[in-house]
Amino acid sequence: MPEVKEYTTPNKPTWCPGCGNFGMWEALKRALSQLELDFHEYSMVWGIGCHGNGADFLRTQGFHALHGRALPVATALSLTRPDLKVIIEMGDGDGYGLGMGHFVHSVRRNVDMTCIAHNNQIYGLTTGQASPTTEHLMRTVSTPGGVLEEPVNPVGLALAQGATFVARGFAGDIPHLTELYKAAIQHKGFALVDVFQPCVTWNKLNTFSWFRERVYKLEDEGHDPSDRSAAFELSLTTFHEMTCTPEECRVPIGIFYRDDEVPTYNEDATGAQEPGHRRAEKARDISDLMASLG
Amino acid sequence: MAQRDPDAVEVRIKIGGPAGFGIKAAGQTLARLFTRAGYETFDLTEYPSLIKGGHNNYHLRISSEEIFSHVEPVDVLVALDRDTVTLHLDELTEGAAIIFDPGDLDIGELEDVPDTVCAIPVPLKEIVYAAGGISIMRNTAALGAVLGHIAFPLEYLTSSIEQQFAHKAPEIAEQNVACATAGYEYARDHECPFPYELAPRESDEERILVDGNEAVGAAALAAGIGLYCAYPMTPASSLLHFFAKNAEKYDLAVKHTEDELAAMNMVVGGAFGGTRSMCATSGGGFALMVEAFGLAGVSESAVVVGLFTRPGPATGMPTWTEQSDLRFAIHAAQGEFPRVVLAPGDREDAFNLTWQAFNIADVLQTPVIILGDTYLSDNRQSIPPFDTSHVEIDRGEIITEGEVEDYARHRVTNSGVSPRAIPGVRGAEQIVNSYEHDEHGYGAQGEIAEVRIAQNEKRMRKMDLARMITPSPAYYGPDATDLSILAFGSTKMPVREAMKWLDREGILVNLMQVVTLWPFPAEEVSEFLGKAKRTAIIEGNFTGQLQGLVRQECLMDVDHTLHRYDGRPFSPEQVCGFIKEVLG
Repeated sequence: MPEVKEYTTPNKPTWCPGCGNFGMWEALKRALSQLELDFHEYSMVWGIGCHGNGADFLRTQGFHALHGRALPVATALSLTRPDLKVIIEMGDGDGYGLGMGHFVHSVRRNVDMTCIAHNNQIYGLTTGQASPTTEHLMRTVSTPGGVLEEPVNPVGLALAQGATFVARGFAGDIPHLTELYKAAIQHKGFALVDVFQPCVTWNKLNTFSWFRERVYKLEDEGHDPSDRSAAFELSLTTFHEMTCTPEECRVPIGIFYRDDEVPTYNEDATGAQEPGHRRAEKARDISDLMASLG
Repeated sequence: MAQRDPDAVEVRIKIGGPAGFGIKAAGQTLARLFTRAGYETFDLTEYPSLIKGGHNNYHLRISSEEIFSHVEPVDVLVALDRDTVTLHLDELTEGAAIIFDPGDLDIGELEDVPDTVCAIPVPLKEIVYAAGGISIMRNTAALGAVLGHIAFPLEYLTSSIEQQFAHKAPEIAEQNVACATAGYEYARDHECPFPYELAPRESDEERILVDGNEAVGAAALAAGIGLYCAYPMTPASSLLHFFAKNAEKYDLAVKHTEDELAAMNMVVGGAFGGTRSMCATSGGGFALMVEAFGLAGVSESAVVVGLFTRPGPATGMPTWTEQSDLRFAIHAAQGEFPRVVLAPGDREDAFNLTWQAFNIADVLQTPVIILGDTYLSDNRQSIPPFDTSHVEIDRGEIITEGEVEDYARHRVTNSGVSPRAIPGVRGAEQIVNSYEHDEHGYGAQGEIAEVRIAQNEKRMRKMDLARMITPSPAYYGPDATDLSILAFGSTKMPVREAMKWLDREGILVNLMQVVTLWPFPAEEVSEFLGKAKRTAIIEGNFTGQLQGLVRQECLMDVDHTLHRYDGRPFSPEQVCGFIKEVLG
């Protein structure tokens, strides 16, 4: 089985030194290696953004999709290729902004795939504009007077829409994140891992040290991941005033909720039980259909 | 006008009334019945919004000779409300009959009803009441009256009813038969003269009754489609219903997506996995698909897109027809990439071009558009069963299993086509990328000038191959003529019908149907126009989009043009009038 270092490509990462994407990259490679997934057994789909540049660095047979549109590409791949593990990486602007419609529908569909969100609460690649998860009142180049909207709550949204696996990770804790990835990839159905991934260049508020002072692990405090109401309650606690102290606003990470008993979309869908290319090995017999066109 | 062959029998029936009266279903029962009785049929459904409540109508042309399109006249008008009479009065032929419920209207108080029209009052609602049925069954009584008026054996209708309701409670079929019989007898007793003799014909020739969307769907199934994605939009919606209905039997994935953006992106994802994938929509939906259509181009994805057009812009006229998205199909999306645009002109074309579209997409690894319109999508014609013996599957350079070595997904080749190993094949590491990319698909290297040039030229080289493997224009009519007509898509149908009529008058016309609109067959079109005495283009849009292509690609122009953009298809009557006018 491939070792962790084999999951890299010859391309040198182009992320800023210290970028949270490095931790996510490392955790994913470890998870893939520990799950003993060979390169032809999983397929990655990326959106557009700093996270998406990771498509050049991770060894896979994957797809670098349009901005905001990784989920529909991955959905079709999951439905037509039951033999592959499908893993999506998307950004907060990418997946919770432009692609929000796809996100909500993907959650309610429970298609068998893992969705990893690089949530740095800012637009990095387009140089520092406010993202859908930027804190209320934070000043950015596109919101010099401060963001007037409340940030999107990905964990709460996913739970409200019936998600069967919802977790949150922190790019500064690679071993913990690796375990989250492994659990998500092994989950049968749609698994969301929203990862706080500090942008060292554009987000001067939600920095590594800001998170380190605030994150705590749900499993350490006795959270029961089968308790959906408790999970929903917890999802509301991440939002806070910008000036709040570490004691006032704690950030839970870990598995908020999981239910492995819910049937996946794939199980009940037609044409999703074997690879789609098998349909086109020879011309289909449509004589019954023609007989009905009378 | 010599519309009818002197030896042929032809009858045109129109059923009109408010929305929700089951008018199309009733009309299709008639179409089925006459098709089974050995006649050629062609129907045209209209859903205008002319008045409050909406007015729907269904026109059925029945003929003993080969027909190519609908026509304008009406010999028998079934008026399920008063508006139907006033709206369609000018379509009635001499000696036409109007079947109506005297409870709905008093025909005597209507102005402008010519003396030659024979009114047949049939108490439809009373008949239904007496049979113990429900109000929708008045259609059945009206159909009975139609057959009674034209003295066609009632058994064709009653057996059709028994078949249609075989799976329902027996009294439903019984009530319908009673309604049909009563309507039939009312019309027989009324003794309106009917000038034609219409009897069941002995015919060994098998016929199917299909609209354009059913033809596309049947071909896609034959071609091995594994994924169909769509968001409902008229006139493409019935294709979604077709695939959904057939998904289980033919084991394909069908997804009604959250929007057209998802549909097109999903189709690209399906194609990436090696599955034959298709979506279809109308112009507005395609506008939403455009970004991912470009993605299919740069990612070299083999996808098939149905673009069935209606009058735009924006929401436009949702249930009507137009050919104004030709340029949109050819130019959609930013940047430059190879694409193929195929325009079926009738149901046989729709079948043959659709299965070929899947092969072309796979061989070229690029998107293929099937450009249709409402006129073709919505309306049924009786035709010989599709010839499936020609359907073959050519997936091009694809590797679906095993192992590859030293693999590069976008390898620069002479043809521009790179061998495609799908995910799951050992050694097929790759990134299929929306960014410009190098041979392996890596985006960072795509910004190197030489790499960009190599990949862009490699993709565009596929257009040379496209020119070789896409269908040539189709020709109809004699070589030497008074007028040569160029057209695309569904306009083929009324033009061929008009040519048939003109031929009887000794007016010789030929038609070149441009089947592949992109890459444009400039050589064939130039030759056709170059040797013509006089030339014309007939197209269903305002700006002359096909004419513009001729100017651009052939550096030529035509002598005459005919445009239509009122939401209606060209009629053969209009085409005949135009041809006679330009020929003086």
